[in-house]
Amino acid sequence: MSQPIIEARDLSLSFSRRQVLDGLSSAFQKGEWAVIAGRNGAGKSTLLRLLAGVLLPDAGAVERSLEAPMAKIGFISDRLSLFEDWTIARAVSFHCRVFAITEFDDSLVRRLGIGTKSRIRSLSAGERAILHLSLVLAQKPTLLLVDEVLHMLDPYIRDLFVEALIEAIAVRETAVLTINHTFSEIERLPDRVLVMEQGRFSVDETPEALRGLMKKVVSRESLPEGVPCFFRKTEGEYKEYFIYPFHEELRTKHALDFQDIALPEIIKAFIGGGYEQKRMA
Amino acid sequence: MNLTIDAKSPLPVYQQVIQAIKLEVLSGGLRDGDPLPSIRDLAKLLKLNPNTVAKAYYALEQEGFSEGRSGSGSRVKAPPGRQDALRRAMLESEWRSFLEKAVSLGFSLEDIKLLAEGIKK
Repeated sequence: MSQPIIEARDLSLSFSRRQVLDGLSSAFQKGEWAVIAGRNGAGKSTLLRLLAGVLLPDAGAVERSLEAPMAKIGFISDRLSLFEDWTIARAVSFHCRVFAITEFDDSLVRRLGIGTKSRIRSLSAGERAILHLSLVLAQKPTLLLVDEVLHMLDPYIRDLFVEALIEAIAVRETAVLTINHTFSEIERLPDRVLVMEQGRFSVDETPEALRGLMKKVVSRESLPEGVPCFFRKTEGEYKEYFIYPFHEELRTKHALDFQDIALPEIIKAFIGGGYEQKRMA
Repeated sequence: MNLTIDAKSPLPVYQQVIQAIKLEVLSGGLRDGDPLPSIRDLAKLLKLNPNTVAKAYYALEQEGFSEGRSGSGSRVKAPPGRQDALRRAMLESEWRSFLEKAVSLGFSLEDIKLLAEGIKK
């Protein structure tokens, strides 16, 4: 594997008494699309802000490769902070001056029919996201950090947004890290899926590997000994058991119907299991 | 061009891309010597990760189904003789999954033979 574009080493961070990150480590490669999932408050947004360099850890370090200086890292968040009173034209020219950008591609903004004289205040959530994306893409980023933006976009804008990310990977081998709650729209896209729990990554797998590692059993009976159950949900008389880590040997040992499940449901089970662990702790 | 990917299918996406391109060749949508869509265009059309499309293109090249640099100027290589072999291979793989399903429903090979003869009439 080549040198990572960015690496998190043993990151720890607390806000007052709450430990948000607890020795988290991971590395991300050029041209890779990684999706970070986890329950609310698991520390996903905090991690992205640390990687973006807008927050510093209590311990550990973020190592950026020479190809990913701060000016080449694009950070898009659902808490977008833009100057509300400015016109789009002013925001664009300001951004271009700060990042020494000579070429601004306004095709995405134009496709939404937004005039450059409109004030930022008057934009919808989706229009803001597209403007922010256009600004960030003009930096020709080597790393894009996208903090849960897709869920608030209408289907057309969501397509534009996703296509722009695809283009960045195809053309510049940009590394893309996204935080997602809704998985159905992007389930075919990531190279890697990471789940955060207790301030670290509890899962880091390819989507194919994850589909192999988690299966579902629906039954009225309780599970036999030796079948690892990560999360259980009760639906009336029936129980849904999420089996993790699954291995093929289980099929020969137990006469259970181990069902394949799609990525969105796998993520839901990991998050549900996360809440259970939190309750037990 | 009519390439579709099924998100619900258990088949890995890159294999679905390979299948879709092969089907396109068999249905005449892509002919011997035609350029393949660029990785970037196909990724955007199908909303796929460019790495997935690249992996599929690499596999197609390895199988001798395309030639030239992947991405830019990759061309379909499918002489007519090859297409017959492909058609047969695809039928066989469909047939295998049909057989597996039939056997899991408790049918014997004899039942299936009778069924096939019934359809022929």
